[in-house]
Amino acid sequence: MEPVAEKIRELAARRHIPEAQLSKWLAMGNRSASSLCEIAERLRLRTGQLARAIDLLDEIAVRDRSTIESILARDEVRRTTILAGSTPARAAAFLAALEKLRFPRLQRMAERLRSEIDALRLPAGISVILPKSLASDEIAIKLVARNPSDLSRLIDALKAREEAIARVFGILGGDEV
Amino acid sequence: MKFELDEILIEEPERGSALARRVIERAPRSSRVSFVEDGRVASMPDLQSSDPFAAGKRRMVVMRRRSPFLMACPAGSAQFACCGLQVLVLASNCPMDCSYCFLQEYVADNPAFQVYSNYTDAFDEIDRMRANAPGRVFRIGTGELADSLAFDSIIGMGRELVEYFADRENLNLELKTKTDEIENLLALDPRDRVLVSWTLSPEAVYRTSEPRTAPPRARLAAARRVLDAGYRVAFHFDPIIAYDGADRDYREMIEDMFDAIPPERITFVSMGGLRMTPTLRAAARRRHPDDPMLLGEEVPASDGRIRSFAPLRIGLYRTIAERIRSRGVEVPAYLCMEAASVHQRVFGAAPASVAELNERLAIR
Repeated sequence: MEPVAEKIRELAARRHIPEAQLSKWLAMGNRSASSLCEIAERLRLRTGQLARAIDLLDEIAVRDRSTIESILARDEVRRTTILAGSTPARAAAFLAALEKLRFPRLQRMAERLRSEIDALRLPAGISVILPKSLASDEIAIKLVARNPSDLSRLIDALKAREEAIARVFGILGGDEV
Repeated sequence: MKFELDEILIEEPERGSALARRVIERAPRSSRVSFVEDGRVASMPDLQSSDPFAAGKRRMVVMRRRSPFLMACPAGSAQFACCGLQVLVLASNCPMDCSYCFLQEYVADNPAFQVYSNYTDAFDEIDRMRANAPGRVFRIGTGELADSLAFDSIIGMGRELVEYFADRENLNLELKTKTDEIENLLALDPRDRVLVSWTLSPEAVYRTSEPRTAPPRARLAAARRVLDAGYRVAFHFDPIIAYDGADRDYREMIEDMFDAIPPERITFVSMGGLRMTPTLRAAARRRHPDDPMLLGEEVPASDGRIRSFAPLRIGLYRTIAERIRSRGVEVPAYLCMEAASVHQRVFGAAPASVAELNERLAIR
């Protein structure tokens, strides 16, 4: 572990990684710690990204009773590190893949709700805003109108979709769990 | 079940109190007994310990309570629909070590197991409260800041409590526990004014997250025994944890509950999803780093706590509520620390006011 530990400490110092995350990284075991070190350097993960990746990996490993090395080797994670495109885009994709592994049901539910909202085919000027991280059962509906007739038109469009919007509320309220 | 104590510290001025004498007489041989000037100082965290909170659980401090014994339930808030329970603080902290327990944050600065030698003053406090609101029913519980029964074999307050409440109209006592330490209760006559409640979790949660508690089946067996001895019984499904397979496990747990206690004999069921402040979550993760139950799909909610995302949490509540209704008997049920809109979705009706819910849950 010694040379790896030294390399991690050096990288962590350069990236100003908080002590809590550094401790988790050092406790990962040689192969897991090295795998993450290699990815962090290749994707040039920034401070927040690297700290978040360490937390996510630690939590996924405990929950799934797996090693971090094996999580990093999963197809959906590994693929993000070799994607075509810029390094920052690969770094963002890597974090997104870890978030998806950590919160799989949340991601599926958010996608399901987004597809319901897309299917509403709302006119320009109306947007349906889901709660952040689906943390509550409230949705915000934003109307942007320039005059009273514009507003009437948008309200009518909403009224015409009442049933479909009720379905969105239903899903948020646990109809499909 | 018997819990271990490393030491028992008794406040010097309280050494002659009935409680101190009982504790000294019944103390396990392995526990050192000594005397201290100020129990508040003796209750502070031992910073030399790698886990001061766990060390506190093994140190009993017999001391005088300087604050009122009655307090509003710490779960109460204007943001939530509440049940109106009053909390009677006769002890603080708990020998069990549930990974999700809010005491890890709530009593982090005084983690010793405190037990109050002047506890009979609490009876005067309750009498005054009753006198100020004649006719009103008060539900009073001792199981919020400590397990109601865990150390009763040593501290022996149970008898006096049950006898005090059994003698008074319009007072209900709730003893809440995760143990099966009920022997002291069985010989008493609660006169239908005492309820014993159990926090109930599926086997999977018990195994990973509730060290030193009684297994769920032992809790149910104990519930049956106190029911047969004349007590009311209730259950708290709290915290409900939304892990993979939770809906199946909670349904099975409810079947086990109904097999032990017929639905018409259950006074109420409360439900509350796993909820942690960021500070509590950090403490829980530090103390229980390998517990997968702390790593569900929880996200920051508008009340500042971390909870399962709404559709998952509400969906699980609905599954559980449907299963409770499935026997065709209405078991009074309510949600703890949830907004009115969540009640509406789970039960199909807005929650009752605090006063109404208190009346509904009260034993008449």
